Amino acid sequence: MANAAIAAGAAGRPIKYRSMSRDRQWAMRWSYFFLVLFVIFFLTPPLYMFITSLKSSGEISAAKNPWWVYAPTLSNYTELLGQNQYLVFFRNSALVSVCVVIVTMVISVTAAFALARMKFWGSATLATGVFLTYLIPDSLLFIPLFKMFAFVRDTTGIELMNHWWTLIIIYPTLSVPFATWIMIGYFASIPKELDEAALIDGATWMQTLTRIFIPVAMPGIIAATIFSFTVSWAQFLYPLAFTTSTDQLVLPVGIVTTLIKGDVFNWGQIMTGALLGAAPPLIIYAFLMDYYIAGLTAGATKG
Amino acid sequence: MADIAAPNATVLAAGSRSGLHKLMQRKSTIAFLMALPLILLIAILVAYPAGYAVYLAMLNKSMSKFVGFGTFEFILKRQAFWDVVYQSCLFAISAVIFKAIIGFVVAHFVHNIPAKGQRKWRGMLLVPWVIPPAMSTLAWLWLFDPSYSAFNWIFAHFGISAVPWLGEAGWARFAVILVNIWAGAPFFMIMYLAALKSVPEQLHEAAAIDGATWWQKIWYVNLPMMRNIIAITALFSLIVTFANFDIVRVLTNGGPLTATQIFATWAFKVGIESGDIPQGAAVSLFMAPILAIAAAFILRNISKRGSEV
Amino acid sequence: MGSKRVSRRRFVGGTAALSSALVAAPFVRGAYAAGKLSLGLWDHWVPNANGATEKLIHEWGEKEKVEVQIDFITSQGNKLLLTTAAEAQAKSGHDILAMNTFLPARYAEQLVPVNAEMEKLVADNGKVNATVEYLGKVGGNWLAIPATIGSQIKGPCSRIDYMKQYAGIDVQKMYPAGAEPQDKDWTLDTFLKAAEACHKGGHPFGIGLGTTSDNVDTIGAIFHSFGAVLVDAKGEIVVKNDQVRQALDWYKKLMAFLPPDVAAWDDASNNKFLVSGQASMIMNPPSAWAVAKRDAPQVAEQCWTHPFPAGPKGRFGPFLPFFWGTWNFSKNVPAAKSLLMYLSQASSAEKMVVASGGYDLPAFEKLTKFKVWAEAEPPKGTLFSYPDPYHTQTLSIAAAPAPHKIAEQIYNLGLQTQMAVRYFKGEALEKTLDWASGELEGYMRN
Repeated sequence: MANAAIAAGAAGRPIKYRSMSRDRQWAMRWSYFFLVLFVIFFLTPPLYMFITSLKSSGEISAAKNPWWVYAPTLSNYTELLGQNQYLVFFRNSALVSVCVVIVTMVISVTAAFALARMKFWGSATLATGVFLTYLIPDSLLFIPLFKMFAFVRDTTGIELMNHWWTLIIIYPTLSVPFATWIMIGYFASIPKELDEAALIDGATWMQTLTRIFIPVAMPGIIAATIFSFTVSWAQFLYPLAFTTSTDQLVLPVGIVTTLIKGDVFNWGQIMTGALLGAAPPLIIYAFLMDYYIAGLTAGATKG
Repeated sequence: MADIAAPNATVLAAGSRSGLHKLMQRKSTIAFLMALPLILLIAILVAYPAGYAVYLAMLNKSMSKFVGFGTFEFILKRQAFWDVVYQSCLFAISAVIFKAIIGFVVAHFVHNIPAKGQRKWRGMLLVPWVIPPAMSTLAWLWLFDPSYSAFNWIFAHFGISAVPWLGEAGWARFAVILVNIWAGAPFFMIMYLAALKSVPEQLHEAAAIDGATWWQKIWYVNLPMMRNIIAITALFSLIVTFANFDIVRVLTNGGPLTATQIFATWAFKVGIESGDIPQGAAVSLFMAPILAIAAAFILRNISKRGSEV
Repeated sequence: MGSKRVSRRRFVGGTAALSSALVAAPFVRGAYAAGKLSLGLWDHWVPNANGATEKLIHEWGEKEKVEVQIDFITSQGNKLLLTTAAEAQAKSGHDILAMNTFLPARYAEQLVPVNAEMEKLVADNGKVNATVEYLGKVGGNWLAIPATIGSQIKGPCSRIDYMKQYAGIDVQKMYPAGAEPQDKDWTLDTFLKAAEACHKGGHPFGIGLGTTSDNVDTIGAIFHSFGAVLVDAKGEIVVKNDQVRQALDWYKKLMAFLPPDVAAWDDASNNKFLVSGQASMIMNPPSAWAVAKRDAPQVAEQCWTHPFPAGPKGRFGPFLPFFWGTWNFSKNVPAAKSLLMYLSQASSAEKMVVASGGYDLPAFEKLTKFKVWAEAEPPKGTLFSYPDPYHTQTLSIAAAPAPHKIAEQIYNLGLQTQMAVRYFKGEALEKTLDWASGELEGYMRN
């Protein structure tokens, strides 16, 4: 069908072309119209966060127009950033996320390379097994993990409860499977001749990976990195379950458990905290979105 | 890993046939070692605790006696559990369907406008997905607040009476699904947009010349070309949505009554809050067969990909 | 608000590679275990109330040469409950942990009994109320010490102006500051009429019917005042009785006058409803008033906290106690006990009560007469009746006198509010009772 149609097009029918462009214009107008609607839908909550973050709690409880700030104030921001506690949440989140990203990338890139290129006994099973981990919900795992922590403490004396760095050990279970999957997809798209040539030239497998595959697969690696970062920044259940002390909490849990107090009315601060907590991933996306999309879709749309 | 690779290098440098042979023999060993961290991670932190959870689910409430499938039998008789099954399916399926539709539609709108402007729009549309759900759900919680709802404030100006967003079963379910759609649709949009870009432009032009309407182009050209990615994305999202915890937890905590309890939140409620850990583990385990069906689809897809490699 | 760390244990062996921050931490594993104590306390809802507790504990710590670490853990989103469960499972955590209502009973086997300490405290501070005894004493053993911080009566907090204007009730006359209550007519019937009048006036009562503790406590007290029991002390399901029917009927009538979304209310909803000026009455300890004082003074000036209305079986008020428990895996039980005794002295209790603006309510009889309640303002005397100085109410907890394991489920899953909502939504009364009876059978699981 395609061929026939292209042939017909080649015959040339200018009138048709004009109507097509008019069609397109209308499609474009409608597209803009609906895009505006969707952007409103998508951006209302963050916008409302921002509006609320500029209000004093007195203004919020006065319940005038919620969409307007009558007496804008930065006091929520200064109070929050002046609190050591919030900065500690931030630091913990940042440290956890960065470490998780590094651990994730080391594990998933090497494993993906082995699985995509080297094949060994059981490698196909492992590739699907990696995928199956995605199906095991974290809400199932955290109670057994308590027991395992108790075991680790009893045998080694290492206390895993209530330490932010425990999250560095736990989070990769959430980020590694998907990252490996992206990387397998990406490595699979690299022509086989490339590594064969390298091997014949005397490179080791490790060299092939670091000198050839990693540079070529950079978009995929960036995508997997951003993915891991987002996952660890946003995780909620594990830190809720495993950390308690305020100096061990990460941002999402810190905000939900220290800023929301049943009876006290500090929505201005809650919204400020949430907005600031959302800032790092937003900034990363603002700069690296194109890589992310390219890598993610190349990795995921394969096949 | 470096020291494993090093001897190979010398062997290779020798360039002998037998050296290459040995290398081929050893390739699987190296590969295995390279995959070992992954294997350990999954075995220790996923497979073992998952197995442990199965064991926990077979204990009695005070965890002092092994009762086999007793806990499962108990759960299957509870009306509350079947409500949770129904609510989880309703929640996950409707959310995924709407996410897919919105993602599909919005991807087309973005695709329609000139390439220059697309980046900006895409960036704005991606925002909900980037904000950690526990944070953005707080914003929704505040928008839905019974006393201070900003939506109801607008409605009041149009003479519409206040909507009990989180106060009535129907509305509360609507609200959690809405928030889930809001947070998840951008991911679909991105994936579909990428798929759309990979549809050759000639196909569209050809269809247009054939007199295909806009709708026909979508139905007969885009949809078949995107089928694969639509399926993968939807299945991925189904898994994540099904196991969702934070949105429901922060927004309604399962209420009103138990109208929005889903698997993860219910497991948390009975397991942690009511102190019946085996029952909590058993409830979570019921997610597995349902997810396994989704898994079967994905695996089929992956093995297809594998054979292409 | 936050946690201040005087010092903390760090176990770093074997994890040195994790981060430089950790490597820098001193390796002191177990070295001074005898001189350390960690506490997980309830994060107070009254702004700045944590400060006084912190000061008291540090005073003790300096005197006893014990390094103390305090974590204030919110009960919002059941974080404190989760922490308790996590520590019980992992068998590690704070030496002293704040546990509310049913938790001492739940973790009875993992707590250090405190019989001698309680004997001494009762001798010093007077008797404890029956609710505290029911919750804290299991199998003849005191499992935890009733905490000052966070213990509360969740009585009505009424708007003086609206109650006068719409319902014709002068709450200040009914429960005058500094004088005997004149509350003969303050019954469930009067209450219902007042609810109707205030609803008509556009300022309904803000009584939640969700499954969180504020809501459950209120309905629990009402059930008690009808004598409505779901499960008796022997563990028999007795839900199908006329008292329960009466209580549900009453609640059905009441719900018609409440805001439409009360079924989804949590512990914060009623507070917001009061602070936003919409409520004529909520059921809450004075934290809502304290916040109003800060954010909406014109609302606070009209607040008056007082006891519950009386029902056919008497006047019951919900008492929600917190306890301080010590895990049996704690490495420093003697220090923990010593600190708990120090915190339970009359002088310490008074400091905490004052810092909480009168919110905290010690469970011991002699500790309910502090000046702060009489002096709190605005308006002067607003909290006078909060600690129930004339003992007009029987303090109670929902689901009592059922055995703890069952009562806990009734309480945590909000069975009573669920029943009320079902019946209100049009389910036949007997069907609701059947449903409840089925649920209760499920709670029998052990």
